[in-house]
Amino acid sequence: MSENVLELQNITMKFGGVTALNEVNLVVKKGEILALIGPNGAGKTTIFNVITGVYKPTSGDVVFQGASIVGKKRFQITKLGIARTFQNIRLFGESSALENVVTGADVHSKTGVVGSIFGTRQSRREEKAALEKALELLEFMGIKKRAGQLGKNLPYGDQRRLEIARALATDPKLLLLDEPAAGFNPAEKVALGETIKKIRDAGYTVLLIEHDMSLIMGISDRVAVLDFGTKIADGTTTEVQNDPRVIEAYLGAPADAS
Amino acid sequence: MADMKSRLNLRDRGAEYWERSPKWRRVALSIFFIALCYAIPFLNNPLINTPGSDFRSVLFYPVGMYVMMAIGLNIVVGKSGLLDLGYVAFFAIGAYTMAILGTKTSLNFWEILPIGVALAMLSGVLLGTPTLRLRGDYLAIVTLGFGEIVRIVAVNTDAIGGARGIAGIPTPPNFFKAKFTILDPKPYYWLLLTFTLLIIWMVRRMAARRPGRAWDAIRQDDDVAQLMGINTRRYKVWAFVLGAAVAGVGGVVYASQILSIVPDQFNLNVSILILACVVFGGIGNLWGVILGAVLLAFTPERIRFLSQPRILVFGMALVLMMNLRPDGILPKKKREHFDPDWHTVEESGEGEIK
Ligand SMILES: Nc1ncnc2c1ncn2[C@@H]1O[C@H](COP(=O)(O)OP(=O)(O)O)[C@@H](O)[C@H]1O
Ligand SMILES: [Mg+2]
Repeated sequence: MSENVLELQNITMKFGGVTALNEVNLVVKKGEILALIGPNGAGKTTIFNVITGVYKPTSGDVVFQGASIVGKKRFQITKLGIARTFQNIRLFGESSALENVVTGADVHSKTGVVGSIFGTRQSRREEKAALEKALELLEFMGIKKRAGQLGKNLPYGDQRRLEIARALATDPKLLLLDEPAAGFNPAEKVALGETIKKIRDAGYTVLLIEHDMSLIMGISDRVAVLDFGTKIADGTTTEVQNDPRVIEAYLGAPADAS
Repeated sequence: MADMKSRLNLRDRGAEYWERSPKWRRVALSIFFIALCYAIPFLNNPLINTPGSDFRSVLFYPVGMYVMMAIGLNIVVGKSGLLDLGYVAFFAIGAYTMAILGTKTSLNFWEILPIGVALAMLSGVLLGTPTLRLRGDYLAIVTLGFGEIVRIVAVNTDAIGGARGIAGIPTPPNFFKAKFTILDPKPYYWLLLTFTLLIIWMVRRMAARRPGRAWDAIRQDDDVAQLMGINTRRYKVWAFVLGAAVAGVGGVVYASQILSIVPDQFNLNVSILILACVVFGGIGNLWGVILGAVLLAFTPERIRFLSQPRILVFGMALVLMMNLRPDGILPKKKREHFDPDWHTVEESGEGEIK
């Protein structure tokens, strides 16, 4: 039980007449990279939105570290230890790269507005800690030289890396990456894959949405496949690769035809 | 052209000079600047004179008052991006607290001040908590309504003078040698200046720290701010309440100077004018906002000798300025929330705004 960082239990998410997720069950185990794959519109991003409290599921439960988080506010869920990136990059474009990451690191600060005004010892200590952590993470993501640049002025790839740094700054128990390698060239994908592995090896648990099969096969511990809002497979990379339903979903043909 | 533009870029040149200055020079410049502000009432320079109205009165109102209020409103509009069109209400609450308690009790200015500020903040909480979940235009309309409601309630409440307002508001007790009388606006100006400097000091600290980052995040993308762990409701209410506190201080000081107030002084025009100071000066940038308020408050007084056409001239100058510098005179600088000492990261040219 404690092995499972996250459990989606019979999650159904309807938008009006559209059923984006249908009775989805999914388990993310501590310390693994779980890849979530599926065609466009399958409901992958919706799963992230349900986990992070952007949407309240129509039915079902989201259990994080043994407790339900359905109905909790978004900022509370982040504080509990879930952080994410966005398929369509959503940085604070008018803030510097460093500020973006420090904003994530602020989650751990206890200083409020009054403490900040008067510069209490706690405030100064937390400001310093947040800054140091942010600089470390920029370095880790290989974008330290961008620290002073505005988010919107970063090159595309660095914007994606910055989003990961910002999410890591909250020190998540579960990191959700929504197509972090989208638009990358093969060399950049390999490098990002190595970075994600390093993140896992540092003790983080990662749920990764990705389309690139070689990247997924290279780094994932397990794979879950979503199709039209239904989970059709879940297992090791080899298991999933040979699953007839997956082959059908991806090739649009009966399994025996391949 | 490009060269002229860069030469005209006061903000970057000023900021650069400041960042390159050693600590002693910063301290010296600050002391000089502050001393200059305190000395302005003694200056008799024809450039800054206000023929047609008393220069020292102008320094207190409108100049000093606008500056303080613009700094307060900038926390709300500039920092956290909440369009508040009823800011005058908090000013009115401060002024009425001073007027009512000053005439009906034996409390003096210094005792009433914290009460006025507390009441302004309390009304900020009461207005902010339910309304701050509204976004953009809706919030603007609700706050506009609030501003008008406060004024209309004052007009219709006979216990606080109704439309005739309150007269005979006491002046602050003498402060060492400074005597607060209707005849001499200087001590009031100094009092206002002192409060303003204190507020600037506080605002700068907030802006450079966690609250500043939270407001930046909220202003840019409320959803993502929440997903980054920011309790956005709470920070918005804080912005509202801090803005209200500043206006509360302004209201108390104002009422203690002009001796009598009427509700119609606290009309929508005041909210709009203060907002104009913020936008004109450079929304979000403290120094821009201060400069904007000084110019907007001072210019109509300076050109009073033009009599009738002066508002027209002023209006045309405003329109022209906003066309030339649509982001304000001193727009927000890119890294304003980070102290240059705080980190040393070389800037590459790519980071330019625009
Ligand atoms: N807020 C929403 N309102 C209506 N429909 C939505 C909303 N969010 C997602 N959907 C629908 O849910 C389905 C899954 O979308 P999404 O989760 O973004 O897919 P994926 O990330 O797998 O490409 C799509 O049909 C999409 O149109
Ligand atoms: Mg998606």
